[in-house]
Amino acid sequence: MKLIEAEKISKVFTDGSQRITALEKTNFSVEASEFVAVIGPSGSGKSTLLTILGGLQQPSEGKVLINGNKFSEESDESRTKLRFKEIGFILQASNLVPFLKIEDQMRLVNKVTKSDYEEELVNDLFESLKISKLRNKYPKDLSGGERQRVAIARALFHDPSVILADEPTASLDTERAIEVVEILASETKNKEKATIMVTHDERLIGYCDKVYYMQDGKLKLDKEKSKKHKPDEKELNR
Amino acid sequence: MFLAWNEIKYSKTRFALIIGVMFLVSYLVYFLTGLAYGLSQDNRTSVDKWEADAIVLTDDSNANINMSMMPLKVKDDITADDVAVLGQAPNVIRKEGETSEEAKINVTFFGINPDEFIMPEVTEGEKFTEDYEVVADSSLQEEKNINIGDELKLAGSDITVEVVGFTEEAKFNVAPVLYTTISTYQDVRFETIDDSEEGRISALVLRNDSIDSIKSENDDLVVYSIKDYISEIPGYTAQLLTFGLMIGFLIVIAAIVIGIFMYVLTVQKSSMFGVMKAQGIPTKYIGSYVIMQTLLLAVIGTFTGLVSTLVTAYFLPAVVPFKNNGLFLLIITLLIILFAVSGAFFSVRTVIKIDPLDAID
Repeated sequence: MKLIEAEKISKVFTDGSQRITALEKTNFSVEASEFVAVIGPSGSGKSTLLTILGGLQQPSEGKVLINGNKFSEESDESRTKLRFKEIGFILQASNLVPFLKIEDQMRLVNKVTKSDYEEELVNDLFESLKISKLRNKYPKDLSGGERQRVAIARALFHDPSVILADEPTASLDTERAIEVVEILASETKNKEKATIMVTHDERLIGYCDKVYYMQDGKLKLDKEKSKKHKPDEKELNR
Repeated sequence: MFLAWNEIKYSKTRFALIIGVMFLVSYLVYFLTGLAYGLSQDNRTSVDKWEADAIVLTDDSNANINMSMMPLKVKDDITADDVAVLGQAPNVIRKEGETSEEAKINVTFFGINPDEFIMPEVTEGEKFTEDYEVVADSSLQEEKNINIGDELKLAGSDITVEVVGFTEEAKFNVAPVLYTTISTYQDVRFETIDDSEEGRISALVLRNDSIDSIKSENDDLVVYSIKDYISEIPGYTAQLLTFGLMIGFLIVIAAIVIGIFMYVLTVQKSSMFGVMKAQGIPTKYIGSYVIMQTLLLAVIGTFTGLVSTLVTAYFLPAVVPFKNNGLFLLIITLLIILFAVSGAFFSVRTVIKIDPLDAID
């Protein structure tokens, strides 16, 4: 099932008299349990794609469907609502609120949705991401790897259908980066999410089901691996 | 509330500073209000004590009771439910036997008929029955150690009066009032006593259901409502205006200070707000958190200010004309909080303008 689908989306900026095409007409979709990477040099339009998919900006043309909802055609307010419900963001630095303890980061979601805090749900999630011991700490007391694991927990917590990760391993060393991507990959499978990761870190693409390469606003499929494929050492250390 | 309170707990020092500023400003506002109210009361408690509706002064006096003089017989020219005569004279007294400069006390003599309604309730001692007996404001007892039976010598004359009783809350023009007979008043003021219909007094104090229905058959007399009269007491309106302006400005300053603090904090946190918005947390939620936080800080700040004011009032010496009024305190608290919260709306505007896109790029 396609959880996120972009139909003929494009993005054109005008800079003075110049027209800059940040994203050329693109079709793109990700299914449940699929972990997709978008790689490419900086300025290639990766982030533009991600922000359009995440509803942070509108495409110049085309439309985005998330879980069947015509995302890009909604009003700002209902897009915000949909974004909150259907999308989990994992950002480069960290999407954590600095003054909330790790457990309270999750509780915030319940506060916004005015729902009850389910302790067991959090326990299970923390257990699977190996962050149970961190629940009473503040983000500043965590290592970079721990912070990103918490960020993943936060993104997964409200059970979105799509995970959008923007350079989630940018500030991590290889070992931590791989750890984070492994978790991301396994959670994508276990919880049947559609995960899109933008990165320029090619060490990580071995964990992805599909790799797209982006250059000058053009997106093309770079590699598709069979579902059971596991990356070998060489691939990781490339 | 959840975010607001957690952040305050997390950045204790930062928010303690903001609360500290709120506390100091509100403390100052409360304190000034207490002083303003106390001082205004010192101007008028004796007038309020009459529980009268109107006062009659001469036209020439320009509503200044010191300059108003009329013969006793004009009482017949006025038709009202209840009429009382009043002679008013400022003077300086000194307790008999004392010679020091500090023993001099500014007072106001009120010459009245003890059987008329402006006779105050005597809280200690007895009413005056003879000439040269006075019922004094209790502040003389509390602050100047004057007691029943004490002889008070008037400045610049040989007259002495004896304190026979005390009454509370009787100040006129910030000076304690000595209630005495009309004759004593005349002697104090004119050094001559005139019991006849031509004997001079200062004013007539009236009680009547409506001021409009008071009839005067004497064109030289003017009927003032008590409210108008009080605002015409020399210096009274000027004092109130001065204090009022100071208090008003302070409330606005408090609002601006907390507004600026919140604005700086909001700008500092704008990247965090960007991330929150990207995650789909509604702007309304973020905005209400900023407002909530301001409300919390303002409430804590003003509350500590209020408590400190009450504590200070308790330990303040009686000479300081400080008086709290529950209604004023309530209104000022609400005003400070209201203004502070409205200052926070500038920050909310900033939050609205934050583009979640910036969190990603």
